[in-house]
Amino acid sequence: MAVLSISATDSAKDSERPSPVWTRWLDLSDRAMAVLLLLPAAVLLALIIVYPIGRLVYTSFFNLSLTSGLPAEFVGLENYRIMLDDPVFWETTWNTVLITLITVPGALLLGLGLALLANLPFAMQWPVRLSLLIPWALPLSFAGLIFAWFFHYEYGVVNDVLNRLGFEGIIWFNSPNWAFAAICLTIIWKTSSFMALIILAGLQTIPRSLYEAADVDGAGRLRQFFEITLPLLKPAIVVALIFRTITALQTFDIPYMMTGGGPGSSTATLAMYIHQNTVSFLDLGYGSALAVVMFILSMGVTAIYLRIIRTKEA
Amino acid sequence: MKLQTLMRAMLTASAVGLALPAFADTELKIYISSQHQPQVWRKVLDQYETKTPGTKVTIETGGNTSEAQAQYLNTIMSAKDASLDVLILDVIRPAQFATAGWTTAFTDKDMSVYLPAYAEANTVDGKVVALPAFADSMFLYYRKDLLDKYGVTPPKTWAELKAAAKKITEGEGNPDLQGLSFQGKAIEGAVCTFLLPYWSQGKTLVSNGKLDFDREAAEKSLALWKSFVDEGISKKNIAEVATDDTRKEFQAGNVVFAVNWSYAWAQSQGQESAVAGKVGVERLPAVEGGEQATCLGGWEFGVSAYSKSQEEAKKLVEYLSSKDVSKFMAINGSLLPTYADLYNDADVTKAAPWFADARQVVETAKPRPVTPRYNEVSEVIRTTVNAVLAGVTTPEDGAAQIESRLRRILR
Repeated sequence: MAVLSISATDSAKDSERPSPVWTRWLDLSDRAMAVLLLLPAAVLLALIIVYPIGRLVYTSFFNLSLTSGLPAEFVGLENYRIMLDDPVFWETTWNTVLITLITVPGALLLGLGLALLANLPFAMQWPVRLSLLIPWALPLSFAGLIFAWFFHYEYGVVNDVLNRLGFEGIIWFNSPNWAFAAICLTIIWKTSSFMALIILAGLQTIPRSLYEAADVDGAGRLRQFFEITLPLLKPAIVVALIFRTITALQTFDIPYMMTGGGPGSSTATLAMYIHQNTVSFLDLGYGSALAVVMFILSMGVTAIYLRIIRTKEA
Repeated sequence: MKLQTLMRAMLTASAVGLALPAFADTELKIYISSQHQPQVWRKVLDQYETKTPGTKVTIETGGNTSEAQAQYLNTIMSAKDASLDVLILDVIRPAQFATAGWTTAFTDKDMSVYLPAYAEANTVDGKVVALPAFADSMFLYYRKDLLDKYGVTPPKTWAELKAAAKKITEGEGNPDLQGLSFQGKAIEGAVCTFLLPYWSQGKTLVSNGKLDFDREAAEKSLALWKSFVDEGISKKNIAEVATDDTRKEFQAGNVVFAVNWSYAWAQSQGQESAVAGKVGVERLPAVEGGEQATCLGGWEFGVSAYSKSQEEAKKLVEYLSSKDVSKFMAINGSLLPTYADLYNDADVTKAAPWFADARQVVETAKPRPVTPRYNEVSEVIRTTVNAVLAGVTTPEDGAAQIESRLRRILR
C-alpha cells in the first residue's frame, strides 16, 4: 500500500516526465482501478460459483446418463416434467421441508436456552463455552454414526435407558415416524450449538446498564427478557436462522448415516435423492434438474429472510 | 548463467530420478472389497510380486457393502481417475462398467475354461470385459448340532424351515436364539432376498431385456419374508440386518438357519467362531410346490480404462483369474472356484467339504437381471423389501410399487 500511494503522488507531481513502464497501470482512473482490483475476486467467484451453477442448469436440459453409453441429448424441460410425476421426488422434498420446519425452530429454542445459560455470570465460564463448541465442531457424518449407535435397537443407549425406566425399547429405524424423530433429535442436538454461539455473541453486545435501569424501574426477570433481551437479540437470531435454514434444506449427512433414507424412502431428503441419482445411478441430467430445484428453494428462502431483515431495518 | 546451469542440472536430475523407478518397477493398485478377505488376496499378490520382479501391487479397500463400493468406484471412474489399475466388481456390474467405457476389453481370451455363468456375465456384446475372481451363490447355513439334537433334517421348503426353526427355538428357550437370519436392510443382498422365493415359483424378472413381472409371485415372496418376522422366527429389526450382520450373529451361535454367501464358511470355522464344527450348508429351500432357486453371485476383476499400465494390469488379472489362484482362494478364503473341476479337488474339499455339492448349486443359480441401469433396478427392489419388512408397506402394495417403478426403468 505504501509503495502504491507514493508512486501515485510522484506521477501526479512531475507529470511531464513519463512514468516507468511498470507503474503506468497506476495512472488509471479510479473507476478503472476499482475494476482492476475487483477482477481477481470476480474471476475466482465466476470460476467456482457462477460457472458450476450455469453448467448445472445447462446439464439439467439434457438426457445425460453415463450408464447408457450414449452422448448427451438435448431434451428441454423433459427432466423437470419427469420430476412432477416422480413420487420419490415429492416424498424426499416433503421430508426435507418437514426436517427444516422441525429442526430450525427446535435448534433455535435449544440454542437460545444454551446461550442464556452460558451467559450467566459464574466463575468457570470457559468449560461451559467449550462444551458448547464441541457438537458444532464434530463432523456431521460422525454425529450421524454416533447417534445411529445411540438409537440402535439392541445395543443403543437410548433403548437401554428406556428399559431401565420400565419401558419397552423402540425399533427406531423400523418405523418412519420414530426414525424421523431420531433424525430430527440428532440434527437439533448437532445444530443448536451453532445457534447458541451466534446468540451468545449477540447477548454480549447488550449493555448491562439496560438491565440495571430495568431493575430500578422494578421490571421482573421475565419482563426484562421479553422487553430487552429478545428485541436486542433479533438481528443475531435472524442471521442464525438464515444459515440454519439453508443448511437444513441441504440436509444429507445425518439421515444418510443414520437410516440411509429407510425404511423404504421415508426418511430420505432431497439432497440424498440428488446424490443417489448422480453418484449411484449416474443419471447426471435428472440429478442436475433436481439440484436446480434445490438451488431455487434455497434462494427463495434466503430472499424471504433478506426481505424480513430489510423491513425490520426500515 | 551459473544459476541457470545449476537449475537445468537440478531439473534434469529430478526428471531422471522420477522417471527411473517407473522404468524399473511397475506399481499397480488393485481395488478389493473389504469383505472378501483382502488379507488372503495379499498372499496371492506377494506370490505374484516374487514371480514378476519389478512389479509392486498395493491393495486398496473401501466400503463394506456392494453399493458402497459401487458408489466409490462410480466417483473415481466418472472423474477419470488413474489411481486404480484393477477393480473388483460385483457380478452385476461388468455390464454397467463396460457400457460406461470404464473398463478395457481382453482380447483373445478363452472364456470356456470358466463355469458358463461367469463366461456369460463377463462377456458384453461379444467382448470379454472382465475375468472372474471367484464364484458365489447364496446357501442355507444351519446349525448341524441343533438339528441333530431335535431330530430335524435340513428343510427342503420354507414351510419346513419355519416348522424346524420353531421347534428348535422353543425347545432351546434361549431368547437370544433366532430361527432364521437373512438380509432385510436396503442393501444389494435384499435384492436376492426378494428374488429367492420369486424365482422358486418359476418366475423370471426380465426376459429379452423386457420386464416380465409376476405381481402375484412378488406379493407371495414379500409376504413370506414378512411372515418370518411376524411369527417371531426372525428378529424384529430384521430390516436393519445386512449380510455381515447375519454372518456375525450366526458365528456367535445366535442363529439356527441363515441365508448367506459362501464367504461366511471360512469365518464360521475360524478361531473366533462359537460354532466351528457345528455348521452345515445346504441348498436354499423352495416355496411349496416350487423349485429350489438361488441367487448367482461372484466377483470379477476388470482393468480400469484410465490405468496407465494396461498391459501389466491385464497380466495381473490373468494371473488372479487363473486356476492356481482360484484353488488357493478356495482353500484359504472359502471363495468358490470359477473352474468346474476344482469343486472335486481333494485339497479343496478337505478345507470345505460342502464345496463338492456346491458346484451344482452355482451352475443352477440364477443371475440377477443384466442391464446397464441395474443400480436403479436394485434400488427399487431393495428399498421395497426393506419397507415391507419394517411394516411400512404391505406386501401387496410393495409388489405393485416394484412393478410400476421397474416398468419405468426398463421401458
